[in-house]
Amino acid sequence: MISLTDFMVVSAALFCIGLYMVITKRNAIQILIGIELILNAAILNLVAFGKYDKVNNSGQIFALFAIVLAAATTAVALAIILNVYRRYKTIDPNDINKLRD
Amino acid sequence: MEDFLHSIQLLNYTVAAVALPLFAAFINFCLPVKSKWAGWVSTIAILLSCVLSARVFAGVWNNNPVHAQHVWFTVGQTEVMAGLLLNNLSVLLLLLVSLIALPVHIYSTAYMAHDDRRSRYFTYLSFFCFSMLALVVVDSLVLFYAFWELVGFSSYLLIGFWLTRNKAVQANKKAFIMNRIGDIGLLSAIIILFTQYHTFDIVQLFAQKGLVAQSVIKDGVWIAATGQMPAIWQYVACAGIFLAVAAKSAQFPLHTWLPDAMEGPTSVSALIHAATMVAAGVFLLGRVYPMFTGTELTILAVTGCFTAFMAATIALTQNDLKRILAYSTISQLGFMILAMGVGAYASSLFHLATHAFFKCLLFLVAGIVIHEMQHVKEENNLDIDAQDISLMGGLRKKLPITFIVAVIGSLALVGLPLTSGYLSKDGILIQAFEWSEGKSVLFKLIPVLALLTSWLTAFYVTRLMVKVFFGEFRLLKSYPNAKLHMHDGGLQYKLPIILLAVCCLFPLFSFNPFSYGHAWLFSGLTSLGNHEGESIYHTIIPVLVNIISVVVLYAAYVIYTKPNGFKFQQSGFLYRLSYNQWYLDAIYQRFVVKPVLRLCSATFWVDRNVIDGFLHLLTRISGYIAKLTAWTDEHIVDGFLHLMASIVQSIGNFARRFQNGKIQYYLYSMLVIVLVLFILKILI
Repeated sequence: MISLTDFMVVSAALFCIGLYMVITKRNAIQILIGIELILNAAILNLVAFGKYDKVNNSGQIFALFAIVLAAATTAVALAIILNVYRRYKTIDPNDINKLRD
Repeated sequence: MEDFLHSIQLLNYTVAAVALPLFAAFINFCLPVKSKWAGWVSTIAILLSCVLSARVFAGVWNNNPVHAQHVWFTVGQTEVMAGLLLNNLSVLLLLLVSLIALPVHIYSTAYMAHDDRRSRYFTYLSFFCFSMLALVVVDSLVLFYAFWELVGFSSYLLIGFWLTRNKAVQANKKAFIMNRIGDIGLLSAIIILFTQYHTFDIVQLFAQKGLVAQSVIKDGVWIAATGQMPAIWQYVACAGIFLAVAAKSAQFPLHTWLPDAMEGPTSVSALIHAATMVAAGVFLLGRVYPMFTGTELTILAVTGCFTAFMAATIALTQNDLKRILAYSTISQLGFMILAMGVGAYASSLFHLATHAFFKCLLFLVAGIVIHEMQHVKEENNLDIDAQDISLMGGLRKKLPITFIVAVIGSLALVGLPLTSGYLSKDGILIQAFEWSEGKSVLFKLIPVLALLTSWLTAFYVTRLMVKVFFGEFRLLKSYPNAKLHMHDGGLQYKLPIILLAVCCLFPLFSFNPFSYGHAWLFSGLTSLGNHEGESIYHTIIPVLVNIISVVVLYAAYVIYTKPNGFKFQQSGFLYRLSYNQWYLDAIYQRFVVKPVLRLCSATFWVDRNVIDGFLHLLTRISGYIAKLTAWTDEHIVDGFLHLMASIVQSIGNFARRFQNGKIQYYLYSMLVIVLVLFILKILI
């Protein structure tokens, strides 16, 4: 029997991996993957806590919305990355610092 | 009314007589230093002064005194008056000074003719005449003091006239310092008199029934009409006057400046240091005579007598022509002070007048002799002292007129009959004997000593005359090839000495050559002193004095004319005592000058090391304080500001780091902040 705690642990692990990737990777694509991982950790939580609402299954439904939204944002993010690469010839976020003061 | 106009006229004449030399001094001061006219300007001024003085003298002598004064300045309630006082004493001195100054001026025009600074010389000389003439006629002690200082000052200038000679400079310093001692005395006496009597007026103070004559000393308190104070102050005032007299008139113990003062030109010695200025002390005594009573008079007599004797013994062995005459002057001044002390007021001033003529004459003669010796020295390039009498001799053939007048002057100095010196000197001796009568043996010693002194005078005068004018010219022994071109000099030399020689004879003073009591000058001044009583001394003393004087004279003549005759031993204690001037200079040098110098160097040391050291310490301390302040300012005040600035800057720098445009860094920071918040939340 898989308990709620196990889901929590997996979710936390995913979140931590995602966070680590977001902070340390030097490639925008990899950062995007990290963000997806964090998002998936959140979706996993939604699904796991969905067991407390077996009547409406709002957890599962909200997770579906979140997946769709994630797909949309990823598409936007990939487009931005593509444009950034065109402009700067790099996708290392450390090199793209034109927005600073 | 007529009297009034008469006195106004006399006062105007007096002012003119006094002011003319000052005017001449001023003109000479403006003339170039080598001007030929300087001498004649001064001479004409003094000639006019002399004529005016004679007119004033004729008007005042034995008439009512003329006294006029004005308010000079006012201090609080006290009005200080200034004015002129013409009585017998002042007009006598007025005439005497201008009369002596006239031949000296004429003589000086020739004597100083080749000096490079002759205009300065006549400036000083005229200035001296002005000061001296003013000194004798002023009526206020303040003015008296002022002119007293001025005569001292002009004497200082003239002693050091040849300012390139070290000895002259030393001598004028010595004279000035010695006179300062006396000036302090006079000043303190004036202050005390003013405190007691509230006036400086000589007439009010010292008249026949003036304030001083009316004051008494009772139970140790000095009571006058105007106030009273402890009796000690009266003695202090008398001592002050005495000090002033001793310094100016060269009395023991302040006489040592006078022989050194002979470093000045001889004509100056004749006028200032023989005839007039040194007599100022006696004149001062004459002015303030009522102050002195009893013991004070005795002190005067003893000092005068001792000075006369001491100076005469010193004059016995000196070899410098002018020095002998200087000591002779001191000796004669001693006689005058002695006369004042024994109450022979008139005789003292009489002697002052006669002494002025014959001593001035002797100095002028000495001047001619020295002048001629100087010529011989320069002509032959000799290395000799032109004033050394041991090198002279036989000059009577070369300088006949000089010789004759010198003999007259010497006889007057010795006091032989038919000369003026006889009249005045015997007057003093006779009155000294009368004074000592009925007193103890010690008092009898004073006239005896005076008598002895007059014989010593006869001896040293003869020695001087013989060594200079008789025998052979001793210079030729050492320098046989020396060429001698000597002569009496021109009219400017001859006229003054002949004039003075005539004044040394008796007819000028008395038609009776044997009795001083008949001299007009004496009777004109007797009002203040005691009157003579006929006594046996009037016949014994003159006879005794003169017989022994003549014997001494002859003995000295014989001793010194015979080249191989009797010679005095020149090594005994008495000889050395006399030759070294009683060692007084050495004593002063050791006990006064050296300690003073040592004191000076000690105070100098203290000044250098203690006072300056203290100041340096202060400087250093304030330097350190300043440095400390600077350091504080730099490091603490500025440092605080810099700290603030750098804090702000570092905060800024710190904050800036977060704005580096790296997106991951932002994320990381956010994560850290969130974590911190959570940790804080858990902990708190």
